[in-house]
Amino acid sequence: MIDRRDPPPIGRVVATEQKPATPHQFHFWTANETSIGIGAIVRVEQPGNGNGETGKVVYGVVTDGFAYSDLATPLHDVVGAEGDPARVAEHPTVRQEIRLWTAAVLRQKPEEPLQPVPLGEVHVASDVDVAQALRMDAYLSGAHPTAIPVGLYTSGGLEAPVYLDADFLLGPEAAHLNISGVSGLATKTSAVEFLLGAIFQHFPIHKGRIAAVCFNVKGPDLCFLDQPGALDDEDRRRYERLAVRAQPFERVRYYAPFKADGVNLNTLRTHPELVGDVEPLVWGLREVLDFAEVLLNRDDIDAKADAFIDFLSDRVVDKEFDDGFGRTHRVVTFADLERLFRSIFDGLELAARGDTWRTHHIATIRKVRNRLSNISTRCKGLVTDDGPSNDLPWGRFEDRAMYVVDVANVDPLGQDLVFARAVSKLREHLERRDLGVDAVVVFVDELNKYAPGDGPETYVKKMLLDISERGRYLGLVLFGAEQFRSQVHRRVVGNAGTTVFGRMDSDELATPGYQVLSPATKIKLATLPIGELMVRHPHFTQPIFVRFPRPAVLRGRDGVERFPPAADLPFEDAVVRQLVKLDRRVRPNLVKDLIADRREEDVRRALAHTRQARPQDALAYFKKQLGGRVAAAPALHRESVPPLNPISDEPY
Amino acid sequence: MSRSWVEAILAAGVVPASYVPDASVGRTDLEEFTGADPVEDPELRVHSLAGASPLAPAAVGFLDGIEQWRVVGYAGVTPIVRAYVAAAIRLRGADRRPRTIAGDADELAITRLDRLPDTVRAALEGSGVRVVEISAEDAGQPARALPAARAAVQGARAALERRLAERRLSSLGSDHWLVVDGVLSDSPALSVHPRALGVVKSHGAEYFAGPELERALTLPAAHRTSVFRPKRRGARREIYSWYLRLWLVSERAPLATPDRRWDRLLYPIHDVETYLRARAPRDLIPYPASRLPRTGS
Repeated sequence: MIDRRDPPPIGRVVATEQKPATPHQFHFWTANETSIGIGAIVRVEQPGNGNGETGKVVYGVVTDGFAYSDLATPLHDVVGAEGDPARVAEHPTVRQEIRLWTAAVLRQKPEEPLQPVPLGEVHVASDVDVAQALRMDAYLSGAHPTAIPVGLYTSGGLEAPVYLDADFLLGPEAAHLNISGVSGLATKTSAVEFLLGAIFQHFPIHKGRIAAVCFNVKGPDLCFLDQPGALDDEDRRRYERLAVRAQPFERVRYYAPFKADGVNLNTLRTHPELVGDVEPLVWGLREVLDFAEVLLNRDDIDAKADAFIDFLSDRVVDKEFDDGFGRTHRVVTFADLERLFRSIFDGLELAARGDTWRTHHIATIRKVRNRLSNISTRCKGLVTDDGPSNDLPWGRFEDRAMYVVDVANVDPLGQDLVFARAVSKLREHLERRDLGVDAVVVFVDELNKYAPGDGPETYVKKMLLDISERGRYLGLVLFGAEQFRSQVHRRVVGNAGTTVFGRMDSDELATPGYQVLSPATKIKLATLPIGELMVRHPHFTQPIFVRFPRPAVLRGRDGVERFPPAADLPFEDAVVRQLVKLDRRVRPNLVKDLIADRREEDVRRALAHTRQARPQDALAYFKKQLGGRVAAAPALHRESVPPLNPISDEPY
Repeated sequence: MSRSWVEAILAAGVVPASYVPDASVGRTDLEEFTGADPVEDPELRVHSLAGASPLAPAAVGFLDGIEQWRVVGYAGVTPIVRAYVAAAIRLRGADRRPRTIAGDADELAITRLDRLPDTVRAALEGSGVRVVEISAEDAGQPARALPAARAAVQGARAALERRLAERRLSSLGSDHWLVVDGVLSDSPALSVHPRALGVVKSHGAEYFAGPELERALTLPAAHRTSVFRPKRRGARREIYSWYLRLWLVSERAPLATPDRRWDRLLYPIHDVETYLRARAPRDLIPYPASRLPRTGS
């Protein structure tokens, strides 16, 4: 894995009064034709003292470069060329030039006493040097290595694997990863996919079990993680160098809500060959009510509404409840809740008991009712009015499994709800250590949208802050991505132990957060090719550029071409498909006959119960849940009753 | 050679000194009138070079030398000079970048041994440094001793250049030229070699007077004078010379800036000097950015 070749010297440290060598920075020159560039790692050797003792060794990373000739002023060049730039090429002698580089110190050995960099020979770093320079030696070997490959450092024909420390990437020492860069060119999603693959393959056994939850918030980005993608020889070579198997994720579980019809899945992974793997994500009243704050956290947050929701949650839902008007309710579904609201409104009106019910003002009750009915309308398909829910497998998470929640086509309010609830449940279970895994990586794209630096304090933002600040103790790790890092909440990005940059926008690089980077590094960031990243990690004292292979999974766009989404099925066919998925023996015609002329909501409810129960005989169970067909009663003939008094013939 | 011999003589009782002559930063040419015999024309005339096809050698070697010296101490009134001379050839090939192919350097002590106390003399002789003696007449007067020392340094530098040039001639390819900074006539081998060229960039040695001198010094661009045979310096060897305005037309650029002789110094020669100065002992030249005033003694 580690190449121990010793590279040849390529330069020499120089120091002048104007440009001295310091303990943190030094300058060196190289031949004009050199492989050194911005981001290259070099090793400086101080000659030994002749007594067998080796001198100081300093590792640095190139942060800036200069080239100049012995011209005292540009005017001399003009005069020499007689004002004609083309004549410079005819000069028989090329002026002396220099390639002078500035490097930031990565590490000194020995580390004490900390002294200016010696004026010694400069070598290109080998694999071993890179490991030393980035302090990776501390976690690459030993009894419990914790190295996770992130990419290849490449320079001058040499390349060396770069590793992150799992203790600092996934906790408990530090945690979280933030990746930023312009859309399309920064390859943020690809980088995270590759890194998750590397984590799954290299997460040390002694650290336990790990899983990832990814929210697919746009298009088909994460819809084909279980399908192999196209790789070229270079990609495969890089995989081999990084000791990562080039293969798609072995265990991927997809979750997507239904569309408004309640039977067709709201995802782009609906190709007949793949849709069978997609589990519906359906939540009922209980799931929504626990996170009602998500629905009320914008303009209409108030303590009264909050108190009433708490009342519903604690005293009403899933309990026998007397409404005070002589009726007893057991509220389990949105439909039950609506019946309760109706009963309250009717009772107050009929009893003329004023406008307060159980200390709650009727206006507050109406407001909560509106918000709750609003979510069931706007997120129809995710939130079911009636029937059981279908959720992520809390408590049964599998080791090295990827859970993709596709909310790309869900209303933004619904996305907030899904995110808030999923993360809260993860936290709850991780606190109780009963999730099934010891650590979970949560990948959230578009942090500019979910955790902006300004704007209202939303529930989702608070959740992201909570993960960022406290998640590492629980094993709840946030991998966040965004286009403009400067516009994400400072505590979200600031708590990310590892920061990754893809190609950056020049305007973004001009913001104060990037002042620590040299102009040359900024230029490199603004022109980074696809597949190259700049990485900051607690063990690296300076940012390091690495290249990573394309993820071995099918890209979203390619996936949609290879597995085009199926058109929405008619209601009956969609029901058949779901029953067949539960039980292959189910005969479509029998199902169609069974549901003919039945109300769709009844069919949906029966289907949901069947899905939840997963019985041996799905059709029989479904039939039982659907209940008997009730024959329509013919309209009664209403006998006409003659008026008691004959109608007068009088026309007026 | 280390500075140990200087420390040895100082320990032996020499009064330390730190006089660095201007000449140590660069050479000056001797001023003399020598005269010349006509070769091409009966009198010095002007010839146009229009239509002349330029030389295009595969590679050109440029040879130059430097000399640096300082008075490191006095034994009584007799100065003891530490001198450093060096020469190098930088070869310019197809890529137009000069690269060093030969170089040599020497360190000398210049004084008059019999004027030194025994202890100082013993210290100097025991150090192993090559000692060049000035004449007894010059040694007695510092005002005469220093020019004599300077001449000795120049002689050492010229000898070093000559040795290097002659060594190079033996391996000079058929399509290679050697350009020497200065006259060729000091070396028989250089004088007769068909592809050795000396570039005299100052008129310290004047071969003509009157109208002929005026004609030589007011040549139009891309013109040369008639070929002539310098008298005194070339008396022992047949060398031909001529004046040329914008000699080596294609070598006018790049300018040899920031050298103060940029108007007459070929850039590759400047390059050789830069190379040699970069390798010279740093204590022989005052640090350019020093904030301390220079002293005379």
